[in-house]
Amino acid sequence: MSLAAEAFVSQIAAAEPWPQNATLYQPLRGNQVLMLSSVPQAYLRMCGLPVRVCCRANAEYMSPSGKVPFIHVGNQVVSELGPIVQFTKAKGHSLSDGLDDVQRAEMKAYMELVNNMLLTAELYIQWCDDTTASEITRQRYSSPYSWPLNHILAYQKQWEVRRKMNAIGWAGKGLEQVYEDVSQCCQALSQRLGTQPFFFNKQPTELDALVFGHLFTILTTRLTTDELSERIKSCSNLLSFCRRIEQTYFEEDKDSQSAGSQYSRGPSLF
Amino acid sequence: MRGQGAEPLLCWGGDWDLPSVHTESLIVLAYAKFAGAKLTVKPVDWTWRTITAVIPQLNYECSSVTEPTQILNFLRKNRFNADYELSAKQGADTMAYIALLEEKLQPALLHTFWVDAENYSSLTKPWFAAHSPFPLGFFVPGRLAGAALSRILLTKAEAPLHSITEVEGKIYSDAKECLNLLSHRLGTSLYFFGNAPTSLDAFVFGYLAPLHKASLPSGQLQQHLKQLHNLCHFCSTILQNYFTEAGRPHSNQDAVDANLQKLTQLVNKESNLIEKMDDNLRSSPQHRLNRAHRPAPKPSFQTAGRNSTPA
Repeated sequence: MSLAAEAFVSQIAAAEPWPQNATLYQPLRGNQVLMLSSVPQAYLRMCGLPVRVCCRANAEYMSPSGKVPFIHVGNQVVSELGPIVQFTKAKGHSLSDGLDDVQRAEMKAYMELVNNMLLTAELYIQWCDDTTASEITRQRYSSPYSWPLNHILAYQKQWEVRRKMNAIGWAGKGLEQVYEDVSQCCQALSQRLGTQPFFFNKQPTELDALVFGHLFTILTTRLTTDELSERIKSCSNLLSFCRRIEQTYFEEDKDSQSAGSQYSRGPSLF
Repeated sequence: MRGQGAEPLLCWGGDWDLPSVHTESLIVLAYAKFAGAKLTVKPVDWTWRTITAVIPQLNYECSSVTEPTQILNFLRKNRFNADYELSAKQGADTMAYIALLEEKLQPALLHTFWVDAENYSSLTKPWFAAHSPFPLGFFVPGRLAGAALSRILLTKAEAPLHSITEVEGKIYSDAKECLNLLSHRLGTSLYFFGNAPTSLDAFVFGYLAPLHKASLPSGQLQQHLKQLHNLCHFCSTILQNYFTEAGRPHSNQDAVDANLQKLTQLVNKESNLIEKMDDNLRSSPQHRLNRAHRPAPKPSFQTAGRNSTPA
């Protein structure tokens, strides 16, 4: 969205309180290989805002920026964590108000580290590693479509991702190097977290939601090897961080599952 | 056996009071100064390497290392470590801030120098065309500009849905926010981690110095930087202390002695940050064996007049 449109949306957003029927759209569960619905979901739950989760095959095309998942609140559609954070802030809910300037700088820096390293590594492993791409990713990505659309879309997506990797210089990296980078990133996050319950001591912030979302996704998705999840599990404080957040904020899913509610039950760390 | 010559580093030449106008080359040059590594700077200007080589490039024996992060890792492994004094948490912060620079600041810098029509036609293109041999001067700037544009579009815009004009506003506001965050983090100290410069300082210097010093006709980002006095002061301090003669890697005798002392201290200490991280990842008896039998120092990395061999 351009800056003017963003400011306009924020103004409209500020006018209304959070509605009860806010919805989060994500692709079909079997479809996307590594789903990142956990990130905005975790953030909204940390803010205490109710949201339903809906699975749709064409979620990627419904989203305004092409990124999934996205939320539909009132008559606005917002995708990606950054705009969602701004949107909820305009409505008066924010997790990072208590931080001073230096802490805010650190938080943004760490969020970029996660985006830069973990997200790019996830994309690389899914689409640029030939084994994973052919056995898992392309099958899952093209499953809702019939022939020949499934082939075309899968190869188109793969081509796009590989172009992006070329542009940022990841094309020359081997798989081992990518795993190394992920380990270093996890080490850095682990050092920052230390023994605290959240990254900025007592209160969760959007950084906690982002880290949880990525780590949870990696830990609970099946790939050709378990190398990636093993690297994360080697940082024990990150593992207990994920479990703690899942227990605190996603616990009610288990209770409402038997009641057959609209909350879609996802995989679990337990 | 190589003589006392230092490793050749290929990079773009200097101008505007800077040792190099190219961000990535500047990062490597600054880090080499901070860590006391002597590198022979070989500017690729006016050679055919402007189009054939990946810059910056450090040639070591038969192989070469490119990309600032890889070159810095390589220098650290050879015991030129400016990050030795950092704690593990500060090392983690370094990684995070470097990611912030790459994601938020770099697109806007690429845009300012290579995509903005006024800057490109009056400053960047003439400079690079003048510093390339004939007839490469016709191709080199265009190629670099194309690479910059595609990088911005592929990472920031959902190509082919968006065009460059739609993301311009966003990348500049991100970059200004990033500059503000850096300014908050730097505060009133001389460098980002205390009184000695580290790799984060090298990266920040590499990104900010061209923006600070180039005479850009249309530079909204430059105006914003000039208002952040601590960052401007940061760039000037590093230029003054480490690049007294812009473009030359040799410093005066006092600085050489100071560097030599610092280097000896570093060499006598037992481990550095990267080895610690390597140990954590691969802690195995085999790795400890390798450390016990450290190979003899490579003669090509000896600084002038150093007699002692490391433990």
